[in-house]
Amino acid sequence: MNTLFAIATGIMFGMGIFQILRRDLIKAAMGFYILFAAVNLLFLSVGAYDGLIAPYVDAAGQTSAQPSDPLVQALILTAIVISFGSYALLLGLIAVTSRRFRTVDSDEVDHLKG
Amino acid sequence: MEPGLILIPFLVAVLVSWLPGETARRWAHWGIAGVMLALFIWVLALLPTIQAQGPIVLSYTWVEEFDLSVDLYIDGLAALFALLITGIGAGVFLYAGYYLQDDPRKMRFYALLSAFTGSMLGVVLSGNVLLLFICWELTSIFSFTLIGFDGKNQAARAAASQALVITGGGGLALLVGLILLGSASGSFSFSEILSQNLSEHPWYAGITILIMLGSFTKSAQFPFHFWLPGGMTAPTPASAFLHSATMVKAGIYLLARMSPTLADGGLWVTGLTTVGLITMLLGAFTAIRQRDLKGLLAYATVSWLGTLVFLLGLPHGEGYVAAMVGIIGHALYKSPLFMVAGAVDHATGTRIIDKLGGLRKKMPGAAATAILAGLSMAGIIPLLGFVAKEVLLESTLESHNTLFLIAVVASASLTVAAVLIFVWDVFFRPAAAKHEAHDAHEAHDAHHGHASSPLMLVGPGLIAAAGLVTALGLEQLIEPLVALASPGEVSLYLFHGFNTAFMLSLTAVALGVVIFLTRRIWLGWSLTTPLTGTKAYYGFMRGLNGAGDFVLRSQSGKLSHYLAIMLGVVGVLLILPASQYLGSTNLTFTFNGSSDFMKAVLLVLSIAAIIASIRFKGHLLAALALGVAGYAVGGIFLLEPGPDVAMVQILVETLAAVLVIVMLSRISESKRKKAADAIWGSGKNILRRDILVSVLVGLGVGAFAIAAVVNRPMRDTTVPDWYLNNAGQVGVTDVVGAMITDFRGADTMIEIIVFAMAAMGVLTVLYLTRQKTEKSSFQVPASLSQISTPLTRLAATLLLPVAMVIALAHLLYAGSAPGDGFTAGVVGGISVALWYQVFGYGGKRLRRLRPELLIGIGIMLAILNAVAPLLSGGAFLQHNDFGDVPLPAGLHFTSTTLFEIAIFLTVFGSVITMINAITNPEGIEEL
Repeated sequence: MNTLFAIATGIMFGMGIFQILRRDLIKAAMGFYILFAAVNLLFLSVGAYDGLIAPYVDAAGQTSAQPSDPLVQALILTAIVISFGSYALLLGLIAVTSRRFRTVDSDEVDHLKG
Repeated sequence: MEPGLILIPFLVAVLVSWLPGETARRWAHWGIAGVMLALFIWVLALLPTIQAQGPIVLSYTWVEEFDLSVDLYIDGLAALFALLITGIGAGVFLYAGYYLQDDPRKMRFYALLSAFTGSMLGVVLSGNVLLLFICWELTSIFSFTLIGFDGKNQAARAAASQALVITGGGGLALLVGLILLGSASGSFSFSEILSQNLSEHPWYAGITILIMLGSFTKSAQFPFHFWLPGGMTAPTPASAFLHSATMVKAGIYLLARMSPTLADGGLWVTGLTTVGLITMLLGAFTAIRQRDLKGLLAYATVSWLGTLVFLLGLPHGEGYVAAMVGIIGHALYKSPLFMVAGAVDHATGTRIIDKLGGLRKKMPGAAATAILAGLSMAGIIPLLGFVAKEVLLESTLESHNTLFLIAVVASASLTVAAVLIFVWDVFFRPAAAKHEAHDAHEAHDAHHGHASSPLMLVGPGLIAAAGLVTALGLEQLIEPLVALASPGEVSLYLFHGFNTAFMLSLTAVALGVVIFLTRRIWLGWSLTTPLTGTKAYYGFMRGLNGAGDFVLRSQSGKLSHYLAIMLGVVGVLLILPASQYLGSTNLTFTFNGSSDFMKAVLLVLSIAAIIASIRFKGHLLAALALGVAGYAVGGIFLLEPGPDVAMVQILVETLAAVLVIVMLSRISESKRKKAADAIWGSGKNILRRDILVSVLVGLGVGAFAIAAVVNRPMRDTTVPDWYLNNAGQVGVTDVVGAMITDFRGADTMIEIIVFAMAAMGVLTVLYLTRQKTEKSSFQVPASLSQISTPLTRLAATLLLPVAMVIALAHLLYAGSAPGDGFTAGVVGGISVALWYQVFGYGGKRLRRLRPELLIGIGIMLAILNAVAPLLSGGAFLQHNDFGDVPLPAGLHFTSTTLFEIAIFLTVFGSVITMINAITNPEGIEEL
């Protein structure tokens, strides 16, 4: 199963890269979001346990069955929030670009052109 | 104490810029000249110490880790130069005050000149090659500012950058040379370096050539000499100071300084004598053909600098003493001559020799100064210039080289002719002889002369008189100083008797007179040189520009091109190891029950949704498709099972979709449509390129992911076990929550700060561009007001309190149930966003909501909660149980609860800030 996850990660990553290469800046930002999701999936698939129940313990610190790996979940949780923050910043930059250059086509923002 | 010698001029430079009051400004130059004189006396007072105890060496630690220090090394040579800099400086400042009397920019000029003085003193007093280099570069920079002082003049700007490019380029060579020197001798401080002789060292050639390059560019040696005459666009006081007496002698100083370490090698002798002789003759020949007074003096300076280099290059230090005398003699006559040229320019409005004449009566003081200094320059007894020429001829005679001797005599006679042109043609030739302007110099006639203060000539007069006084008191004044600066015995006499040197000197004067008298003949010769330094310089600069244009042409300016190249490189680098790995691994697929089957379905769903979002042309549809993919990923998390992660994922996914949609509503449809039409790039080839890059990177990352999965640590690892076993101890049954708020609490704290910074980033970029566009483009789009129907208003009104209750529940029961501060913040944020969309930003009570304040309180609370245990001797972020508080059942109030509240406040505030900033940028208030 986890192998499947890894393959899916590769596919999603490739699709994200493809989106990032679009001239349409909004699509490019979405490409970044696909990358975030792909990386989170990878995180999940490298967890140490294939758990049966959620990682909750009782008052004595015991679990009734094999829990899923809490470590990767905590990391993903942090990653989700941070990636949303960067996504919001990207969208903000695109909003600014659209206002200053009157376009969301990155080819028309060509102030570096020789 | 002694660092004051360097620091005081800089201090003066700063203070003089702030000088208030017209009177203070009018007399400032007297004050600065007084400071220079005080520094002069200070250096004089150091001489007995140097004589008795050897060099004064001081060292101050700079950066201990790198073994860097600020060192001073004041020996006779340094003192000699310091005396020249401060002494001439005093005279120049006096002169500058009258030269620039009516110029509004004169305070700036004083500041620059004073800062230059500090840098120049730094060059000669530093006891460390690195400090010397820094000061060396500073003098180049101040020279640049002074040559280009008249920034509105195109010629001045060009000359300034030319001088900077040449001296700065030489400076780079020098830096490498000095570093090599430091490595070869094992120390960067002079007191170490000077005790060694590196002429047998394997790096000797490299060090010598690089240091020579630095010195030759600075001291205007052939083929770099042309920047100095170009630099005559500087105000005359700067020319007199920097470009004759001090800065151009920095190269001479360095050569003299390095001679104990480097002079024994053959390269030194050959290089210095050759370049010195060429420069000497070239400068002297060119000087007499100049029609601009300052140009004549500049080329004469070039010639004399060549002479000094030649003297320092004579084997066995034969020319060293002559060079020392020559440095003093030259400074004492050349700077007054420059200042006289400036005074003539000031009074008549021109510096063109052909337009001048008969000024003897009009400017008697200037004429007297010019005669005094000119006699010294021509080498007439009893002036210091005579002594300098005598020792020069003696040293040349000692080298037993006829070629050297002929060259020196030739240049001496040309110099005599130059002096005669300067003095006779300007002051004594009848004014009637003034004929029409010489062709190319018409431009100089632009401004008219004006009356000048008689005090103007005090400075140059004093310096020129010093040339006489020092010669008469040679044995008392000059000999001890030169002896202190020289390694061997020194004995100087004003008159040696009728020896060979004196005869040669007389010959040179006679020849000079002949050259002067026949000037009508040879001035008519047209000499054209096919390649001058200036032409080469401009050719080089044009080439550089062309190369820049060429590189620039390869820049498409298109983001997608750059990204494709960068990511393509990444993909190519990834694909080789990836294909190797994939070829050597057996992939096994195991499915355990229905949960795995569901996960596979959701994976396929998310990939399909992503493909859909790629294919959809409309942004709204694409965003929604992406949302579906995100929900599918959330479903996978839920099946893991990881309810906390799943909840955050689904909420954040919703928020992201909301954010995209509100942003889309603020970008005009036509703009977006145009971009969206270019969805597949600019053509088939672009599309193929993008697909190739994506496949390469995707394959690489996929291979990496498979490797990570196959090699992941399994059950035997203890890390997650530890978390599972210890979660109970912090009173939290949700292990993920325990990790977020406790075990990995510092991580979370930084995370919420980063999240808040992202929100502030959005706010800042939108705020900064807000004022740049006119208000009219900001009308609220129809799509926003359209959703404000009675139904949506009711929904928003109902949902806000409900959402807040849900958020509160998430917050308070974070320890034992899915959901935590993040989810609470996002839930609250989404409901507030809905409220804004429906009711607008202007109205209703939510206006009082200050998201920035919430962020601030949240972060403060998080930090306080983490730091508080430190006060009672605990650890950072230590768990703290506040015991039972009268609160709803099942609630246990601990420091993690406080942390959750802090997370909630920060995330809530940040989410509102992001949405506000993107949808309502004109509503951003000044923070």
